[in-house]
Amino acid sequence: MSLFYADLSIEMQVTWSVLIKDLKKTSSYNPYCYHPDFYLIYKHIILSLILNEKIILLDNDFTIEEIEKLTGYKEFTHFSKPIDLCGLDNLKSKEDFKNIVNKVDENWKITLYTSGTTGLPKKVEHSFETISRFVKSSNKNKENVWGFAYNPTHMAGIQVFFQAFLNGNKLVRLFGLSKYAIFDSIKNYCITHISATPTFYRLLLPTDEKFSHVERITSGGEKFDEVTMDQLKILFPNAKFTNVYASTEIGTLFASYSNIFLIKQELEGLVKIQNNELMVHKSLMGNIETFEADWYSTGDLVEITSELPLRFRFITRKSEMINVGGYKVNPEEVEEAIFAINGVKNVRVYSKKNSILGNIICCEIVKNNEDINETLIRSHLQTKLQEFKIPRMIKFVKEIIITRSGKIKRD
Amino acid sequence: MDSIVTKFNLIYMEKITSIINTILINRGKREMTLISLDTHLRNDIGFDSLDLAELTVRIEAEYDVDIFEEGIVNTVKEILEKINID
Repeated sequence: MSLFYADLSIEMQVTWSVLIKDLKKTSSYNPYCYHPDFYLIYKHIILSLILNEKIILLDNDFTIEEIEKLTGYKEFTHFSKPIDLCGLDNLKSKEDFKNIVNKVDENWKITLYTSGTTGLPKKVEHSFETISRFVKSSNKNKENVWGFAYNPTHMAGIQVFFQAFLNGNKLVRLFGLSKYAIFDSIKNYCITHISATPTFYRLLLPTDEKFSHVERITSGGEKFDEVTMDQLKILFPNAKFTNVYASTEIGTLFASYSNIFLIKQELEGLVKIQNNELMVHKSLMGNIETFEADWYSTGDLVEITSELPLRFRFITRKSEMINVGGYKVNPEEVEEAIFAINGVKNVRVYSKKNSILGNIICCEIVKNNEDINETLIRSHLQTKLQEFKIPRMIKFVKEIIITRSGKIKRD
Repeated sequence: MDSIVTKFNLIYMEKITSIINTILINRGKREMTLISLDTHLRNDIGFDSLDLAELTVRIEAEYDVDIFEEGIVNTVKEILEKINID
């Protein structure tokens, strides 16, 4: 039987025919999607496509107060309406979903909320066109098995879902599982494709495992450091590594085999670099309530590597640069230097308000070698970084706090 | 002449000395064996702004007081005054 979804942590396996039966049994539709279960979220999205109706995705960990602030409602039962799916007689196998997707028009919209680290998340509405801009549907991709390593209600998760769904691929949950459950899932389901944040991949290391059947490793959301990259190439010896640039506001915009991105011909005139910041034309974006200008400042600082054609690499998030007494410090650069020390498993560099310098650099380190100590780290960093970039406070911790999107928390 | 070190603030002097020495060691500098109330943070110890910033964070972590909140502190005695132990 052809599998649609598997979650080893709760021993759940859903075949495409069970999915189709489940869909046909559904008697009502509510545009608000707020479920604890990944499968229910996927089913809800597919139902919205069948009905060509709007869908609003809410993170499962939003509190009732947050939901009320975001949507204006505490609960959504009154939005439910009866539906009749008798006309789905033609839906018999996964191949038939193609016809349904072909009929989706501008009536279908998906709304999601950005995972901003400060304040209330921002509402963004996407059409099928912007959400599926980078989805590659072809016979070549038919046998792919996707490791699902993102929050399913966030942009990156939705992109992976559509990539797998539109190719009839198997989806296997990896997000939120332990390292060993992730390894078991990769092995048991012969996962071929994984898309995740660098933090997700880092948490898999160090390891003696080797997965030769994984063909593609995609990362995005944060910059990859070279030490992690080298170890991942051992863990996934046959995989091609791709970097993706995507955001909730824009969807996926660029992909590259290295850390240098090329602006494709079709995006010429729609992407520009102003004061080192990547700017995107509004025509490439989803609808954001509070945004009206022609150009959107991404907040991502880039370095141009060639003018014609325009190529660039990402340096950091503008807001993530830490100002230490007038000197700008890139936390990712400091993290990379600390990562290079043997025995450092994970690291978080962040700022703390300071009455003298405005901000001071601090870091938390997870070590996997007892010989690592503060003196050793400092003497290493003194040879690698300028003095003002070296963390003044170093704390050893058991684990690093990450955001709901799986990124390192910096505030 | 040095101010008088009371028994009460002697304990705190030891703690402040240990914090100052931690910062010196972190910067690859030599530890101070003798620190008195009149020791000047910049002139005698050689602290720069980064060191002073670290000093505030470490003292704040220990005593919950930002010693530079209302302006520059110059001597060890002024630190003790800020944390109300004088």
